Amino acid sequence: MTRVLVPLAVLEGESVSLGLMNLLGTVDVTVLGYHVLPEQTPPDQARLQYEKRANETLADVVEEFRLAGGAADSRLVFTPDRTKTIRRVADEVGAAAYTIKGATGAVERLLVPLSGDVDVDRVLSFVVDLVADRDIGVTLLLVTDDESEGRRSLDEAEATLAERGLDVRTELVVGGDPFDALVDASPSHEAVVMGEQAPSLRSSLLGEETDRAAAESVSPVLVVRRDPENET
Amino acid sequence: MSDREAPTAGGGANVGNESPVIEATVETDEATITDDSELERTLGLAGGLAIGVGTMIGAGIFVFPGLAAGRAGPAAAGSFAIGAVVALLVALPASELATAMPKSGGAYYFISRGLGALAGTVVGLSLWFGLVFATAFYLVGFGYYAVDTLTEVGVSVGDGFVVPLAVALGVAFTVLNATGTENAAKLQNGVVALLLSILAVFLTYGGLDALGVLGRPSPPQTFVPFGLAPVFTTAALVFTSYLGFAQVATVAGEMKSPGRNLPLAMVGSVLVVGVLYVATIFVATSAFESARLASFGETAMVEVGRRFLGRAGAVAIVFGGLLATMSSANASVLSTSRAIYAVSKDALLPRWASRINLRYGTPHVALGMAGGPIVVLAATGRVEILAEVASFLHLVLYGLLCVSLVVLRRDEPDWYDPDFRTPGYPVVPVLGALASFALIGFMQPTSQVIGAGMMVVSAGWYYYYARDVRLKGAL
Repeated sequence: MTRVLVPLAVLEGESVSLGLMNLLGTVDVTVLGYHVLPEQTPPDQARLQYEKRANETLADVVEEFRLAGGAADSRLVFTPDRTKTIRRVADEVGAAAYTIKGATGAVERLLVPLSGDVDVDRVLSFVVDLVADRDIGVTLLLVTDDESEGRRSLDEAEATLAERGLDVRTELVVGGDPFDALVDASPSHEAVVMGEQAPSLRSSLLGEETDRAAAESVSPVLVVRRDPENET
Repeated sequence: MSDREAPTAGGGANVGNESPVIEATVETDEATITDDSELERTLGLAGGLAIGVGTMIGAGIFVFPGLAAGRAGPAAAGSFAIGAVVALLVALPASELATAMPKSGGAYYFISRGLGALAGTVVGLSLWFGLVFATAFYLVGFGYYAVDTLTEVGVSVGDGFVVPLAVALGVAFTVLNATGTENAAKLQNGVVALLLSILAVFLTYGGLDALGVLGRPSPPQTFVPFGLAPVFTTAALVFTSYLGFAQVATVAGEMKSPGRNLPLAMVGSVLVVGVLYVATIFVATSAFESARLASFGETAMVEVGRRFLGRAGAVAIVFGGLLATMSSANASVLSTSRAIYAVSKDALLPRWASRINLRYGTPHVALGMAGGPIVVLAATGRVEILAEVASFLHLVLYGLLCVSLVVLRRDEPDWYDPDFRTPGYPVVPVLGALASFALIGFMQPTSQVIGAGMMVVSAGWYYYYARDVRLKGAL
């Protein structure tokens, strides 16, 4: 079954919004409780002091996820490097996607941007698993310079989802910045599902597009991971 | 590295009725997995080398050349070479133990598990004190470079400001580490890369000159002007330049692929700095006569830089010296805090010593227990005593480390499965132990008395505080 990793800064009072919890009711969830430490502090030293409290909180969150519908478990990691930890645990549990926290109520429509270098097949297949037989709409957003090619690939993606019984809309933007288009479209959607992009100079300077999307749209973002086999 | 579980055999309690925290863990290349949580390993080989090289380079290149040449003449290069050999003889066994037990605490951890709680207490507290003395020494070295920097920019304040500046930096590092959450580790890598670049230029130019390629006459002098004995006493003094590899072991719990990276970082950093030290002394003693070099004191390298490359050379060396001594001091403050934590976790010091600050997430108590004595010792300004006591306490640790390797190997417990095995066993660890203890014999009596006193106090603490704690074989 499809598994989603939900990272949670467990000792900083972070919580998972009810809307996201319900959205993930159709998939298995691994709650990744983490605590980031400054380099002065050996992870082991923090564990000694915080492990018990962190695990008690995690147990409560896992229980809530189970009540929301899916199978859930948890991991607790003390780490100086959050990104490395998310990547490692996502690999180990075979997670198809991980979440970036955001506030949301009940999710009625997902925004799924397909612009740029993303693995469209993986994103669509994840959306199908996530929506399952629920009444959640999907908007496919594509920003491109080539209108006819863009229309063609959007239609193809729409057909893939419609075939599985999903309620799909498409939005094609010709020219312009994919990120701005995503932010403009986000208010009428409660959550974003987007593909992980290959690391680039741009992402190392500005931060990951997925993190920026979460910050700008305020809603939760589900990041569909790239195929680990294809990574160099 | 193979995943494995280790048995636990320790226990007992200290005066405060606290017991060692000992749990079975599984070590993988990327994390340490305990029963209820995981500890991410994030330091790579570059990070490990930066800790080792960054800690060592400040002392050996920027502080000792003048002092060493004054004692042993050009043969001071031999003193540094002796130091490198001793350090290598210890770094190899230390690497084996570190890959068998990749935990924070480093050398303390290996010895307490190999030889038991008494040796563990003596070594654990000695490591704390030894790092405190070493850090104070780096700070005083920084003070000299800070005064020279002011001189270069036209503000002559005199050597009276060395100690106040050293103390100020000691206080600043302690406070910044207790309250700061910036990631200085990346900065450390950059600093080390920059230092190596400065040294590469300087040593290439100076080396060509020393070999007569540039056609400038070198001052003629005999290689061993004062006989062989000073070569060995100088080796004992400058051994402080090789303490950094053990600090790599204190972060063993945070290293990625420890089976590969720990030996490479420890042995590699000793080789890198050893070559640099010998080359530096060669260049320095061919630039000036030993007596002249000695008269320049702690910042003699600045004058060597000036002679080869004029004012630009002097400024580059002053700048390098500032960076290097600061990086040594900061890395050592962090290692000291880790050493205190490792001992406190094993109930040899009160558990509150490893408390973490709720606001900053930093180990403020341990940092204070490191910074307080460091500042007091820096205030003495006694470069040679500080360096020798630091070396004394580390050498005891190194000797015992070699002994515990032999003890473990003679009757290998089931859990003992190092990824790296010391080549030349048992010759290397036996020689390592003998050489470590022998080097102590060449120190000034004052340093020997202070160092021995520290060990007696540590042993006394064990009998008072933790005589019921058992650590041997307890993983």
